[in-house]
Amino acid sequence: MVEPVVEVRRVWKRFGRQWVLRDVQLAVEPGEIVALLGPNGVGKTTLLRVIATLIRPQRGEVRLFGKSAKAIEQERGWIGLVANPPAFYRHLSGEENLSQSLALSSKPVAAAEITAAMERVGLPAGRPVAAYSSGMRKRLALARTMLQKPRLLLLDEPETALDSGGREELVEVIRSAASGGAVVLATHDHDFAGEIASRLVEMEAAR
Amino acid sequence: MRAWVLALRDLRLEMRGRAGLLSAFSFIAVVLFIMGIAFGPEEANLRRAGPGVLWVALAFAGSMLASRAWAIEVENETLDELLLTPGSREWIYVGKLLFLWLLMLVMGAFLLVLVAAWFYLPLSSWPQLFVTLVLGATGYTVVAAFYAGLTVRLRARDVLLYLLVFPLILPVVLAAVKATLGIVDPVADFAEVVSWWKLLGVFDVVYATLCVLLFPAVIEG
Repeated sequence: MVEPVVEVRRVWKRFGRQWVLRDVQLAVEPGEIVALLGPNGVGKTTLLRVIATLIRPQRGEVRLFGKSAKAIEQERGWIGLVANPPAFYRHLSGEENLSQSLALSSKPVAAAEITAAMERVGLPAGRPVAAYSSGMRKRLALARTMLQKPRLLLLDEPETALDSGGREELVEVIRSAASGGAVVLATHDHDFAGEIASRLVEMEAAR
Repeated sequence: MRAWVLALRDLRLEMRGRAGLLSAFSFIAVVLFIMGIAFGPEEANLRRAGPGVLWVALAFAGSMLASRAWAIEVENETLDELLLTPGSREWIYVGKLLFLWLLMLVMGAFLLVLVAAWFYLPLSSWPQLFVTLVLGATGYTVVAAFYAGLTVRLRARDVLLYLLVFPLILPVVLAAVKATLGIVDPVADFAEVVSWWKLLGVFDVVYATLCVLLFPAVIEG
């Protein structure tokens, strides 16, 4: 039997006294693209962060690739998280950000590969990220994902700030990531979710 | 290896932004100026106060830099990316520690020259002063980098950092001041300096071991 890539088992998470996630359950099978939908504040981003093992739930458990969050420590490099907005060091150029990020993840790549990825997403070389627009940052995040080749890709509102060319590239990256693992994305855009996702999950506010 | 990559990247970021270094160097200049005026022109007074001024200025400026080491991640919202790297998370602490340690040594050497010029400290014993600087800066950096990481997600992190770090590094600062006093005093017994160095060495090893072991647990959200 093939293990689910993600298994969220009865997860509860609160910040202060406010419960954000209550008894959340979710299983993502290999090859799936799951879209988390729902209004602001329902906990989509929190759920993505719980799945990424960045925050620990008060109750419940997250299992990735059939292993507990603790056991996944050595394989954390297989998780790709694209936050909204994507996080990069402003004083470094796009290429420097990519090379540093991959070196720290113990997945160093050749400079030529980085240049090729930058060209593919249509980003100029040598410019500091501080001079990037929001859309360019999203494109840089796409380039990072292409190079990182995660087995679990988590995306928080990936379609925002992207033009039509960027969206096409995004769809391609998501499909490619799903073919080698699974993708979970949080979005408000039902049209985009309907176009790309193999399953839609509507989240409701925790009461 | 990854720790060095992180430390060198932080150094590159600091050299480009210069926010932390400029604040720390300005702070040091102001402290030295005020202390120099406060202790008056008498050479004996200044010479006695010099080691204390050196370590107090270095400790406060070091806290500014420790806070800066983690503020880089907060400003760029890149802490999550660091935490998603594979393996246990001690190396993140070691990387930040190396970054801070290198800055502290550069700043300490610069401060030593300034204090020597203003407070009549003899630089002829510079090898001994440098050993004290390395031992003292290591003890200080180990604790400051740990607590700066612990408080990185808090809004009041800068205030909390001073409150948490200073009680713990008091023995380090005291031992470093005593060792420096022993070195610059021509009639002092050098064996006493060595005993202060040993004490600093013990602090460094104990604090470093504890901080490396505890860090993965405290950095989790």
